[in-house]
Amino acid sequence: MTTDPGPAAGPPPRDEGLQPERTALSWQRTVLGVVLGSLVLAGAGLRAGSTVTVCAAAAVGVLALVPAVLRAPSGGLPGDGRLHSFAFLVRVVALVVALALVGAVWAFGRGAGAA
Amino acid sequence: MAADDQGAAEGAGQRPDTRRPRSVYGVGTEPDARFSLANERTALAWVRTGLGLVAGGVALTSFATFAGMPGVLDVVAGVACLVGACFAGYALVSWRRNERALRLREPLPAPSGLPVLVTGVVVLAVLLAGYAVGSATWP
Repeated sequence: MTTDPGPAAGPPPRDEGLQPERTALSWQRTVLGVVLGSLVLAGAGLRAGSTVTVCAAAAVGVLALVPAVLRAPSGGLPGDGRLHSFAFLVRVVALVVALALVGAVWAFGRGAGAA
Repeated sequence: MAADDQGAAEGAGQRPDTRRPRSVYGVGTEPDARFSLANERTALAWVRTGLGLVAGGVALTSFATFAGMPGVLDVVAGVACLVGACFAGYALVSWRRNERALRLREPLPAPSGLPVLVTGVVVLAVLLAGYAVGSATWP
């Protein structure tokens, strides 16, 4: 059985131009960044004694880490030859926005308290 | 041969493409997967840029505990967090525009977020430098 080497005819055994490692590493860096950001926020919340901030930051970290560990992004082309990037992008962007909102609410709250 | 054709047809996307967003996958033809993956990596780089701003803002908030003028630093930190969220959102916008252009075989749109990012980072740096000089001059 020969396979069609066309670009959309299923994943070839090894496409040197595809370089799935780059995309996979990019995903890993991003998820790691979300987890580190939530850890920084949780640490800051712990020091300030803000339970809500700690819980929100921990939730963001868990929501980022668990799907990435359970189904690690391979970075390559799926078996059906179609990428489904957008759903994953939306999820990670939503987590970053949640982290940003928690941090911004906290910062502005502190700023208003200090002023 | 017939089985091969069927397999090729299946792989070539003869089934209806139900992927969302429809404004992207409903137009044009499938580009080279390498270009789509590069677009994905670019979007992820924008997410990380926004994430860097968010993490910097959060770190600044915890640093403001030890600082002399916590109110100013907290406001700068909050603004950095919100701008980071905007850049994460921009990642989705730019991904959508680039993927559309790739599918329609059009020239890629200009990275309109780049000048905004550079301006924002410069403003943030000037604000923090002003704070540092101010707190050193009038302790």
